[in-house]
Amino acid sequence: MKKRIRSQIARGSAELAILALLAEQALYGFEISKQIEERTEGALHFTLASLYPMLYDLEKRAWIKGRWEANSAGRDRRYYSLTAAGKRQLEPLRQEWSFFFRALDRLAGVTHA
Amino acid sequence: MPDWKALVLERLEALGLSPTQEEEIASELAGHLEDCYEECRTHGVGKSEAIERSLEQVASWPNLSRKIRGAKRKEEMMNHRTRTLWLPALISLATAMFFLMISTQIALEPRVIAERFIILHTSTTSTSYSFAAYLPWLILLPFCGAAGAYLSRRAGGQRPVRLLAGLFPGIALFGLVSFLTLIGQIVPFQHQWSAFVTALLFLMVPPGIALFLGVMPFLKEPRSQARVNN
Repeated sequence: MKKRIRSQIARGSAELAILALLAEQALYGFEISKQIEERTEGALHFTLASLYPMLYDLEKRAWIKGRWEANSAGRDRRYYSLTAAGKRQLEPLRQEWSFFFRALDRLAGVTHA
Repeated sequence: MPDWKALVLERLEALGLSPTQEEEIASELAGHLEDCYEECRTHGVGKSEAIERSLEQVASWPNLSRKIRGAKRKEEMMNHRTRTLWLPALISLATAMFFLMISTQIALEPRVIAERFIILHTSTTSTSYSFAAYLPWLILLPFCGAAGAYLSRRAGGQRPVRLLAGLFPGIALFGLVSFLTLIGQIVPFQHQWSAFVTALLFLMVPPGIALFLGVMPFLKEPRSQARVNN
């Protein structure tokens, strides 16, 4: 059975999810939400309302930047890519989450649940 | 297929951004809804249900507007502050310092003093040099204040911001004098307080007045703005 992670945790991990995806390739909003949902098997789910404020926030921090381009269907979409500052943020974020999960595992044995 | 952009513009509240930015955001959100709709349709969902499912992406449009406003406007405000205050203030300061440098350079040229500033011959030499540098600088300062206030007004700065931008060289000098006086507290020297008062009198009050004279015309609202406000 697919389970959705509660919103607070999801929000916290969303930054990492978006940055990690954009480190691979430039994507537009709908693709980002689709890929996150597919690759987490539905555990992380972004609606339009939760995705775009986060993208704009990341853009404001200059971690990602958007530019208009035509997609495969010839429609103009705003593609987001990771900036140099975003790339620098990604590794510490990965380490932080990895540390968090190890700590949680030690405390609650989450990997054996 | 519905006109997604019109639909978004209808629901999204004013974001307080430039029309271009708001247009861009509406286009982007409309594109997302359009993709959701297309995806539903490719999975065999009926038109009206596909529209409904796409619109479910946003539970509360006012809430989304508020979140976008929050994410976008801080950046806007910072840019706005830079445009209306810091840039004009720095230009005002830079021109004031440039004029001070030029007038000092000319004042330190004795031949120029002897020929052009005859009035100063009655004072002692060092005072003559100081005044020969100070007076032309003071005369040029209103232009520095005017430049700061004009640039701030052109960028859409409010009256207090324009005033601050124009008077910035005076404020910077006050900061410098105060800092040097504080240093004097640590390494005391004779007559430091009288030096502070003298510095204030010469570097704050007359330059402040000169800068304010330049700022004054730009404290009024531009005609077109005044018409809108009325």
